[in-house]
Amino acid sequence: MIRTAPDEMAGLKQGEGFLSLRGLTRRYGPFVAVDDFNLDVAKGELVAFLGPSGCGKTTSLRMIAGLVPSSSGHIVVNGREITEVPPYRRDMGLVFQSYALFPHMDVARNVAFGLEMRKVAKADAAARVREAIAMVRLTGKEHHRPSELSGGQQQRVALARALVVRPSILLLDEPLSNLDAKLRDEMRNEIRDIQKRLGITAIFVTHDQMEALTICDKVVVMNHGRLEQVGTPLEIYEHPKTAFVAGFVGRINRLAGTASGGIAEAAGVKVAAPGFTGPVEVMVRPHRIVLSAGAAPAGGDLHQLSGTVARATFAGDILEYEVEAGGVLMKTEAATRGGETVHAPGTPVTLSWRPQDTFVYTAS
Amino acid sequence: MDERPISPALKASALVMFIFLLAPLLVVLPISFSGDAYMAFPPSSWSVKWYGAIFADKQMTAAFSVSIALALVVTVLSLLIGLPAAYALVRLKPPGAEALGSLFTAPLLLPTIVLGLAILLVFAPLGLLGTFQGLVAAHLIVTLPYAVRVLSTALATLPIPVEEAASTLGAPPLTVFFRVTLPMMRSGMVSTAALCFLVSFDEVVLSLFMTGPRISTLPVAMYHHVEQQADPMVAALSVLLVFLTLAVVVIVDRTAGLAKTFVK
Amino acid sequence: MSAIALPARSARRIGPTGVVMLLLLPIALVNAVGFLWPVVNLLRMSFKETQATGALIDTVSTATWATVLSDSFTLDLIANSVGVSLFITLLTLVASYPIALYLHRSTGLWRTILLVLVIAPLLTSAVVRTYGWIAILSSQGLIANALLFLGITPPRLMFNLTGVVIGLTEILMPYMILALLSGFGRLDPRFEEAALTLGATPWKTFWRVVVPLTAPGMALGCLLCFVLAISSFVTPKLLSGGRVFLLATEIYDQAIVTLNWPVAATLSMIVLVLFGAALALYTRALRRIA
Ligand SMILES: Nc1ncnc2c1ncn2[C@@H]1O[C@H](COP(=O)(O)OP(=O)(O)OP(=O)(O)O)[C@@H](O)[C@H]1O
Ligand SMILES: [Mg+2]
Repeated sequence: MIRTAPDEMAGLKQGEGFLSLRGLTRRYGPFVAVDDFNLDVAKGELVAFLGPSGCGKTTSLRMIAGLVPSSSGHIVVNGREITEVPPYRRDMGLVFQSYALFPHMDVARNVAFGLEMRKVAKADAAARVREAIAMVRLTGKEHHRPSELSGGQQQRVALARALVVRPSILLLDEPLSNLDAKLRDEMRNEIRDIQKRLGITAIFVTHDQMEALTICDKVVVMNHGRLEQVGTPLEIYEHPKTAFVAGFVGRINRLAGTASGGIAEAAGVKVAAPGFTGPVEVMVRPHRIVLSAGAAPAGGDLHQLSGTVARATFAGDILEYEVEAGGVLMKTEAATRGGETVHAPGTPVTLSWRPQDTFVYTAS
Repeated sequence: MDERPISPALKASALVMFIFLLAPLLVVLPISFSGDAYMAFPPSSWSVKWYGAIFADKQMTAAFSVSIALALVVTVLSLLIGLPAAYALVRLKPPGAEALGSLFTAPLLLPTIVLGLAILLVFAPLGLLGTFQGLVAAHLIVTLPYAVRVLSTALATLPIPVEEAASTLGAPPLTVFFRVTLPMMRSGMVSTAALCFLVSFDEVVLSLFMTGPRISTLPVAMYHHVEQQADPMVAALSVLLVFLTLAVVVIVDRTAGLAKTFVK
Repeated sequence: MSAIALPARSARRIGPTGVVMLLLLPIALVNAVGFLWPVVNLLRMSFKETQATGALIDTVSTATWATVLSDSFTLDLIANSVGVSLFITLLTLVASYPIALYLHRSTGLWRTILLVLVIAPLLTSAVVRTYGWIAILSSQGLIANALLFLGITPPRLMFNLTGVVIGLTEILMPYMILALLSGFGRLDPRFEEAALTLGATPWKTFWRVVVPLTAPGMALGCLLCFVLAISSFVTPKLLSGGRVFLLATEIYDQAIVTLNWPVAATLSMIVLVLFGAALALYTRALRRIA
């Protein structure tokens, strides 16, 4: 393991976030699971780690918790370097995907475990346990074993157990992925409410972009062990920095093209591409495209592409089209307002969208 | 499972073979209530005098106490030595863990007659023959492999996140082990204890090499008794032993599940 | 509500290698003193000699090996032991196969009960079971009295090879049954049904489908039983009354009665060589089957 000497670190500690990761890296043999991860999280923030399966989310989280030693890099919490601190001294609350409740203890003793480790006085501990159980709405279930609870209830116990000690940072590893869709929505908001109410700094690992966008203050998009982009949900969605982020967060149409002289041309459409030359990918989100029947009307400064409807899908809330245009299939979608005609396949249509809804990336 | 009918030929041959398999155990019960002075089947009269004879036989009762004490000591030591070993091999995975695991279970591959002789040759000059300590050491050699194997399986099937959860909640490694790992291993520990107890309590061949005129175990005393005269007292003893085994099995079943322990 | 502090750190720490060593130390000690050293010592002992007076000579020579391997008594002993063990293995296989197949095809509680009945003898001391066989086979025993009752002069069933074979076969059956059962996992009833619907007779189906599919289990059971038969001691000794000479009983006599340790050690080594041979044969057979 290669590590920098502690005094080299001194400069890092000031003026950074509550939690700072610096060059955090984890190798398994030649394979790099997490590569040079840098991040600052402010106190009280809820940050999502978002990415496809195997991109290193869990590994990063476990390095922060101290369960996986880092190959190199530093973890600083509240100005204190904790890279070498064992997990049981890190004061972090971790909620596992599998909940990992103690099967041989009832709910109350599960929740009390962390307080016991901190040698909190009996009476005080009992009060805190009661309060934590009430917070996750499980009052009355104190003396149930985990095996006697539903998945959602077990999840709540895991949350209460992690929160009752008021950890400096709460880490959640796909906490909702074992729940059904309805419960997932409910728990998502519940976690968000509790996190805000306690003002606790939290990291939420997920591969579900909805979860990340809806409840988190900041989203960290990862791919192949590398950090792709950090930003607010709005920034991530509206200004994806890489083709991967654009494609992973939200749905997208991709057009292959070439750029020269600050202009990219794809499927006959010319878009502004300052600084690009050579092969590029031009992307636009389906619901930012306006579909109109017939030949192209004068579009002003809109980008326009004409084609024919290949498939129309009426899905109640939205109306989706697949349009054959310029040799590719373009998807569009629009919220239904009532009264619109559904164009049959074969109908000539024009697709228009605003220049600011267009993303250009160097083709990979 | 399938609803395939079982052919009568198979049923009949299985029944015959089952009778053959259980015959020696089945005849022991009636003989134990024999009123004869020697063994004959069927007995010509009935009584419970042979059960009384066991308790009058000083050698047998002494051997019985030795066997019980031996099995208990061996069981406790097997757990105390086997558990750290299993933990180190399964959890800390030192380089060569697999080779070490094979080495620690290797004594089971050796026929007990060879192992007994090998131990005899080493223990004799150490003055361990005919001593309780010598018996404990000899039995440990055959119970430890079982202990390490069963405990390793029990450890390997535990959910690691539960231990990690305890650790992130502030429990140092030893606390995690005693508060979380050990309680979750309860059924594995019970199975191990029962197995070690039975293996030690039933062990004959090693004990034959290790015992002497001063100390004997119950199976060895029974062996010598049968060698000289196979009277009904041995049957009465056998019945008691079968019940003892049954008691152990029931305890295991209650706490760990019989199927999980012996049929894998 | 404020954060709750973790208790202060204690000073001591040993490295991970130290912990592993510490945890493995006790078992390593037992293994070294109770297994490795004795086995090496046993091998060494087979290269020592005994004088005519019985005194042990501390040399390194192959004299004991030469004597043992040129003595017609020990050569007969080895051949007998191998032959008897193979015969017992075969009998055990034949006796266990129906039980295993029946168990494989039965279900639910009935299957559990039968399994317990198979395992019960395994948990009972070999001394007890051998005693049971004495009660059945002796001149005052069940079979003799039954035959006398029918007016037939009973044959001699004990204190000879017959008794040893009968007793050992029964003693080894549970091992064989469990080994067979473990191999029956591959036996899907649909294969048999397929063969039957293709027009094979039940007998043909058994030989052409069931037996080949269960061959690995049979191989394992046979290895196990051969190895156990050739090294078993209590049952042969008690049922033969010392009248049948086998490798295991001879090792014991040489070690305890004659006190000729080099010969006992050499015979033990021969048992281990036979073990190795059986194992090699087994792996070859398994490769052929697979
Ligand atoms: N102990 C290990 N040994 C070798 N490789 C590992 C180990 N743990 C993780 N990896 C590899 O590291 C990469 C990242 O794993 P990680 O569990 O962090 O992914 P993830 O982003 O959490 O994925 P998921 O969404 O499926 O949980 C994976 O390719 C995985 O195969
Ligand atoms: Mg993961």
